[in-house]
Amino acid sequence: MTRVVVPIGPQHPALKEPLNFRVIADGERIVELELNLSYSHRGIEKAAEQRDFIRALPLIERVCGICSHSHSTVFSMGIEEIMGVEVPPRAQYIRTVIAELERMHSHMLWLGVAAHEVGFNTLFMWTWRDREAVLDTLEELSGNRIHYNMNEIGGVRVDLSPPQVDAALARIPVLEERMRAYVAMLEDEETMLARFRGVGTLSREDALRYGAVGPTGRGSGVDYDVRRDDPYLVYDEIPWNVVTDTDGDVYGRTKVRIGEIKESLGIVRYCLEHLPDGPIRVAAPKAAPPGEIYSRYEAPRGEVAHFIRTNGTDRVERVDIRTPTLANWTSVVYSLVGRPLADIPVIVAAIDPCLSCTSRITVLNRGEDARGETSPYTGQAGWFP
Amino acid sequence: MTVLSEMLRNLVSRPATTLYPAEKVPVPAGFRGRVECDDERCIGCSKCSLVCPASAITMVDSPREVEFRGKTMMRKKKPRVAVYRCIRCGLCERHCPADAIHLRSVLSITGTDREEVLA
Repeated sequence: MTRVVVPIGPQHPALKEPLNFRVIADGERIVELELNLSYSHRGIEKAAEQRDFIRALPLIERVCGICSHSHSTVFSMGIEEIMGVEVPPRAQYIRTVIAELERMHSHMLWLGVAAHEVGFNTLFMWTWRDREAVLDTLEELSGNRIHYNMNEIGGVRVDLSPPQVDAALARIPVLEERMRAYVAMLEDEETMLARFRGVGTLSREDALRYGAVGPTGRGSGVDYDVRRDDPYLVYDEIPWNVVTDTDGDVYGRTKVRIGEIKESLGIVRYCLEHLPDGPIRVAAPKAAPPGEIYSRYEAPRGEVAHFIRTNGTDRVERVDIRTPTLANWTSVVYSLVGRPLADIPVIVAAIDPCLSCTSRITVLNRGEDARGETSPYTGQAGWFP
Repeated sequence: MTVLSEMLRNLVSRPATTLYPAEKVPVPAGFRGRVECDDERCIGCSKCSLVCPASAITMVDSPREVEFRGKTMMRKKKPRVAVYRCIRCGLCERHCPADAIHLRSVLSITGTDREEVLA
């Protein structure tokens, strides 16, 4: 039996961001897989320690280009809890609206990318066209398509005016109709069924063992969602359901994501129709008392967590960011073993990987493997958060 | 079947893309574009330069008399914005006490002024 080592990445047409697989293949089948992450370390955690809360928020928002609101919300929620600041209900509703619009555009982007990976480019064009409606809504509400910068410590930056609310509500029926079309396609579109069904199977036990989060876990029947199980913002006040599926393959994850878009549409409609009156922010103190907090949030890709330690000044002493992609990688490595090489793009895409968000550490000088790299700052070998 | 009906519809419908030079993409009212400072209102308090996450705002000397909350006062400085460093987060607009600095709906990612681009 001949085993071949196939290097995939860090630069590869199937990958949108740098990542390296050392795939050991027996013919077409994957026998073993080694994953190397963290090619795009940006040092955001350290940079956040050097800025006060006001200036750290736009930086934290830029951890991810898709889940930007997730990171800024989880960070500001943590700081607000340490400060003991109560965010007004209107601000909570506005944050929820933006969060769910973000989830919708992220899942639509994913659906397009997944379809593109299996060669179904028609669906890719369709979902990205529909995603424009969501992005237009976000642009009208926040002034920008991707980095909304809606949060500030103690509330939100801008208010929603009645015409903005009406314009956003008017787009929802169109999107609901499109989602119905996608659900119908899921049932009878041969291209999707052939490439999604039975690919990348992950049982419920394995999803739990490898700590899969978000749609990856829920697609394997793990009934867990931070929004329901540790409610934040207004998720405990509004009607919505956690979407799960028992298929456990890429098909199951697709069904979960389309289901979540439909739920998000309902949440956005409810929040916009029941937007409470009142202030959009309260004056927060400049400095936070010493404290530690582990702040959690259900981002489109799964649970994102920020560990924040404050020391009585106007900046954090330490912020540690755990992104959902990091939690999902082990399940990918597991579900790829035994599959043909051609399944790598779709199984990798199925967790909706976001690689530069995941790059929290850069390791220089790995023992015998050392490439002789040293820190640009200290001239010494080591690792840098 | 869905694909077929979409194809037939697309044969007779107009292009989905905006025909750019002839037709401009509508810019919403709250769009965060190029930062501009209203010289008559600015009191030179430096708040915008302090909150700017990208350090794109520097204060330069510009003494003049300005009206602020019904009183006339003498200001010493005014902000100068490096628009190509600006990340258009809107914090300067949010924190300005005199309502002087605003994000206009003008796109700020293109320009021909060498000094401005390299600032």
